[in-house]
Amino acid sequence: MRSPNAEPLLPGFVRRLFPTVAGLPLGPLLTLSLRSLAGRRPGLFERLGEYRSACFGIDPVDLAFAFRVVPDGQRSSVRVVSKDNTAGADVLIRGPLLTLLGLLDGTLDGDAMFFSRIISISGRTEAVLALRNTIEDAELRPSDLLGLHGILARCVDTGVLGTLGAARRLADNSPGEA
Amino acid sequence: MTTTRMELVCPAGTPATLRAAVQAGADAVYCGFRDETNARNFPGLNFSRDELAEGVRFAHGHGSKVLVAINTFARVDEVDIWKKAADMAAESGADAIIAADFAVLEHVAKNHKQIRLHLSVQAAAATPEAIEFYAAHFGVRRVVLPRVLSLQEIAALNRAIDVETEAFVFGGLCVMIEGRCYLSSYATGKSPNLNGVCSPPEMVSYDEEPNGTAARLSGFTIDRYERGQPVGYPTLCKGKFKAGGKTSHLFEDPVSLNAGGMISGLKGAGVTALKIEGRQRGKGYVSEVVRAFRKALDAVEAGGDAVDVDRLLAGQSEGARQTAGAYEKKWR
Amino acid sequence: MSEIALTLGPVFFHWSSDRLQDFYRRIADEAPIERVHVGEVVCGKRMPFSDPAWPAIIERLERGGKQVVLSTLAAPATVRERRSIEDLCGDERLVEINDVSGLRSRSGKPFVAGPFLNVYNEASAQFLIQLGAQTICPPVELSFAAIGILSSKCPEAQFEIFAFGRLPLALSGRCYHARIHRLHKDSCQFTCEKDPDGLSVDTLDDQQFLAVNGVQTLSNQVQAFCPSLAALTSKGIRRIRLSPHTCNMVEVARIYRRLADGKEEPDDARFALSCLDLPGTMVDGYAHGKPGWQATAPA
Repeated sequence: MRSPNAEPLLPGFVRRLFPTVAGLPLGPLLTLSLRSLAGRRPGLFERLGEYRSACFGIDPVDLAFAFRVVPDGQRSSVRVVSKDNTAGADVLIRGPLLTLLGLLDGTLDGDAMFFSRIISISGRTEAVLALRNTIEDAELRPSDLLGLHGILARCVDTGVLGTLGAARRLADNSPGEA
Repeated sequence: MTTTRMELVCPAGTPATLRAAVQAGADAVYCGFRDETNARNFPGLNFSRDELAEGVRFAHGHGSKVLVAINTFARVDEVDIWKKAADMAAESGADAIIAADFAVLEHVAKNHKQIRLHLSVQAAAATPEAIEFYAAHFGVRRVVLPRVLSLQEIAALNRAIDVETEAFVFGGLCVMIEGRCYLSSYATGKSPNLNGVCSPPEMVSYDEEPNGTAARLSGFTIDRYERGQPVGYPTLCKGKFKAGGKTSHLFEDPVSLNAGGMISGLKGAGVTALKIEGRQRGKGYVSEVVRAFRKALDAVEAGGDAVDVDRLLAGQSEGARQTAGAYEKKWR
Repeated sequence: MSEIALTLGPVFFHWSSDRLQDFYRRIADEAPIERVHVGEVVCGKRMPFSDPAWPAIIERLERGGKQVVLSTLAAPATVRERRSIEDLCGDERLVEINDVSGLRSRSGKPFVAGPFLNVYNEASAQFLIQLGAQTICPPVELSFAAIGILSSKCPEAQFEIFAFGRLPLALSGRCYHARIHRLHKDSCQFTCEKDPDGLSVDTLDDQQFLAVNGVQTLSNQVQAFCPSLAALTSKGIRRIRLSPHTCNMVEVARIYRRLADGKEEPDDARFALSCLDLPGTMVDGYAHGKPGWQATAPA
């Protein structure tokens, strides 16, 4: 029985947004993306300053696993971990996947989400602020993370953002929601 | 009464927000360097020297001005850091430096006569005597007014001084006289004057307890939230305290300032520029607020009433509750 | 003659004219203090009550061999308040300036830069010295070490450390006594008189934290910084400021006198202070460059 205040459930097809491109598992794929981003946009990591070596635990509540992210420029790492392996992270960010992605693409405001408790953030507040301010300034698109350019970038951005938008609308309108 | 158009001065916490503010219609944006020389010294915020130069180019290209806040008080034996920041601001082509410390004001007045000097709200200059002192000694051209003055007091002040005035119209409200508050350092060791921060994030903790979530600063309980209630940031003076047998938001309710309905009043009182607070806020917030005030200001300058700024911005305020603050005398 | 001078700061609280007279009579007759500040610093509305008492108080203090300094308002607002500063600045005695408004009237004449003026570095100190500042008592959040550096870089002025009393932390345009009693500042009924050491403000969890005194916010805890004579001498800090409370201030002065003369160890001085009827527990964090609420030395 779902509680009346639960967030919208993630439709099945959205879970298939996560590719395993060229046979690479998710962790190494995201690690390479992040390092590649560091090469193209070093300013972002300078903005993070001392907090680039902090460990950020990202826990999408509607996926069966979580991530440990250390955004240390060219030495960044993203590891897929089990849900109970996020202890010891400097910051733990927990929330619905769509909402977390919404933070990244700027659709949703970090302050509003945090203060309204849809996302829960715990740990070193100063590291959270550094991350939030950096993402705010970064104006990231999915193509940034995937290292794509030109027409392909635009397709992916529209595709992924469009799909995200559609997925959000679908999730919000699913029957039986609070 | 100002006959020239009032200026809309908007916050730019990062290069992206600077661009957003300019594109939303700001006449001027204000920003700081990524260090203790400005009073919003938060992790991940503010500009490097190159980012400032780029920001100035962008703003000027769109017809907006850039004001650089070097508005904290220089540390003992490290005055050079503040002087260098002033030098960098001048080199970047910025239109004004906003300062409060005698040391910084003196350095700019002596070495960078070509750049405008604005007096920060951190200088707490609220009387004609104080403002004239700064004007006489440093050639200050504009003063940012402390938020404790009423409209009548502002009108009287403008009649008594030659310097331009800039008044806050939206955003977070500081209830204590700015630039003279040590509440933060009493609890945490860091304060606006010592470090450019208030209620610093590294001393914040949110503790889940049986009777709700306690928001604490250096272990002092600032507020408590029930389950399901949105939590706020434990800024010291916005907390709940017990005094005289009562529990209340003693110093200030967690509301924010919205003087959108007073734009024509401020114009009538002789104010030159309207200032929006919020360098720590995101692009979405800044764009929305700047657009609304641009509309309202344009309407007033065209001779009409301010459009319903209140309604436009209700969702953007802290805790969605607003006040016109000290502009209405009953605030005291 | 001791190298270190004691200063009694201005009374921050709304003490009645009678209370002020009794207080200063004892100080004049019994307290080993060189310099005494008089005057209203926090709220101009109180001035009609205390103004008539000052001439007799000043005369009594001077007869008792004390140097009297006239303190001025920290946040003048009304025309009357601004004018009162101007009038006081015309006096021949030393005047304490607590707001930039007063600098205009007093420039060129000697003054004390009070702890409400923002002196955080040697360049700002020099600027004020050139205008006439002879004694500088920096904001309470500045550490002992920092004040020592200021003193070494600005030998033309004497630096003073706020060593005793509830710490003045903030000023507002809003009156908190009025607010607690659901009154407006303009019709406050002077409720602040009921709290001669300030009114305690605790957290939701009953932690002692702050205190209010009209428009002023202070610490609940009492600064009780006891530097040794050697420490004061090595830092070149020549003055100690004691802020008045309802406890036995003559005894406080005697304790600090012994300390400053090198006749008592800091630990013993702290013990002696702890035996007095203080409005809060003793702290000295600021002096050590730490958060103000901390007590770095054992009580």
